Amino acid sequence: MKELFQYVPGQSLLHRLNPVTKLILTIMICAAAFITSSVFFLLGLLAVDLAIGLIAGVARKTLGILRGLMKIAVFLFVLQVLLSRQGTPVFWIITDRGLLTAATVVLRLVVVCMPLALVLAVTRVSDLSNALVQVLHVPYKYAFTLTTAIRFIPQFLEEMSDIMEAQTARGIAFDQARGLKKLGMMLPLCAPLLISSVRRTDQTAAAAEIRGFSLRTSASAFRRYPFHLEDALVLGFCVLLIAASILL
Amino acid sequence: MIDIQSFSFTYKNEAEPALRDVSISVPEGGFLGIIGPAGAGKTTLARAVCGIIPHHYPGDYYGRISVGGLDPVEASLTDLSRLVGLVFQDVDSQIISTMVEDEILYGLENFGIPHAEIPERIRLALAQAGIADLQDRTVASLSGGQRQKVAIASILALRPRVLVLDEPTGELDPVSSRQVFSLLKQLRKEHGVTVIVIEQKIMLLCEFAEQLAVLDHGAVLRQGPTREVLAHAEELLALGVNCPRVTTLSRLLSRRLGRELPVCVNLEEAEETARRLMT
Ligand SMILES: Nc1ncnc2c1ncn2[C@@H]1O[C@H](COP(=O)(O)OP(=O)(O)O)[C@@H](O)[C@H]1O
Ligand SMILES: [Mg+2]
Repeated sequence: MKELFQYVPGQSLLHRLNPVTKLILTIMICAAAFITSSVFFLLGLLAVDLAIGLIAGVARKTLGILRGLMKIAVFLFVLQVLLSRQGTPVFWIITDRGLLTAATVVLRLVVVCMPLALVLAVTRVSDLSNALVQVLHVPYKYAFTLTTAIRFIPQFLEEMSDIMEAQTARGIAFDQARGLKKLGMMLPLCAPLLISSVRRTDQTAAAAEIRGFSLRTSASAFRRYPFHLEDALVLGFCVLLIAASILL
Repeated sequence: MIDIQSFSFTYKNEAEPALRDVSISVPEGGFLGIIGPAGAGKTTLARAVCGIIPHHYPGDYYGRISVGGLDPVEASLTDLSRLVGLVFQDVDSQIISTMVEDEILYGLENFGIPHAEIPERIRLALAQAGIADLQDRTVASLSGGQRQKVAIASILALRPRVLVLDEPTGELDPVSSRQVFSLLKQLRKEHGVTVIVIEQKIMLLCEFAEQLAVLDHGAVLRQGPTREVLAHAEELLALGVNCPRVTTLSRLLSRRLGRELPVCVNLEEAEETARRLMT
């Protein structure tokens, strides 16, 4: 699970794009997914997500993310279908409209989550924060908070699974519990984990501070983040995407 | 270089002080080793020397500290950190980047090191830490020991005049541990860097440190030249801090023979003593 959020070094087009371009692409895919109500357009967006994964050379990871999302998606789909009362019945309490709405909701979820994870896989967090500061003039404090949060996701997940393993070893059957029951068993473990995470992030802030955190300006970064032709093309694609989501 | 006088500190919302009436001084270019059981206040002392206490951790602060003429309470944390570099005990909370190179780069960028100078600084710091080959790796793909070296390199790159290392060899194998200490020795000799090391590997520490301070329950139990502190081995053992084996051996021998023997801190000295006893 934690590998899903980790950077994969590489030289692909996606790696080379300006971090801001990647962020805009992500946001535009999400926006398009919310604007459209067509299942087919959503399927198209899913294809775009998969293509991004392929071009970035992280096909295995893309499938991993998709598989992870599928578990949640199936659960949501069934829930939607059973709760929906509109449309003509197809089978038992299942209606045609219900099926369609469920498919839309679930596809939208998958389409929105994938690019976020993919961008993290092909962007160094320091590049992301540098570019936010340099190009978008985001105050460094906020950029740092964002990137630190991203950096701590894998560590948090790792500690979570460590604790669960330790508890399993003591005879608590996490692996056999399902759904809400499993959630109920995990919640009490979250509190100590959160406290230790807060202490950790506090130390990380101190570590940044003793290395000149407060001196950092938009001119500090060693690397520059100019826009290239590729960025323009991707941004053009974003405009097309939004236009299509409105028209289709 | 470092002068601590009657320093006490209690973390906010804690009942017990983490440090009580601590007085220690280290001359420029000196090498102080700090030992003591877990919870003795070693990390707290390191934080106070580099100014994270009181700037980052609030609490009750008594006494005076002076580092290179700066008072950590009055000077800004940024000014202090140009002078003092701290390698954290918890390496994973110190590392903020996903790539090794970016981690070394971070402080250099912030302190405004001229960009033309940066590649060489990175190269040298990585070479000093013995990880020249890891420059383009992700931090997540490294072992604990390698991460520890990255944390050390990121501080070395800034070339501080005072280096504080909080259990820097916790995850390192014996060979790498010795390399870290040899490097510290070299930095002292060539650049007059003042070094404070908190360390569990006492044998190694005693070989390199000029002075030792023993902390327990927030107080300095004993301090002085390494050899003098080691002469009180019983005290250290009672704290659960083990002494170098040669020291223990020479002490046992001296008691068994009922005569004063010199305190040995390394193998050569022990050999010398043994040879003298035989003749
Ligand atoms: N951030 C903190 N907040 C509150 N108490 C702390 C904090 N860090 C350490 N302490 C307490 O201060 C005491 C000394 O801890 P520390 O300096 O970490 O010891 P050592 O490094 O020798 O193991 C301990 O009792 C510890 O619980
Ligand atoms: Mg400690």
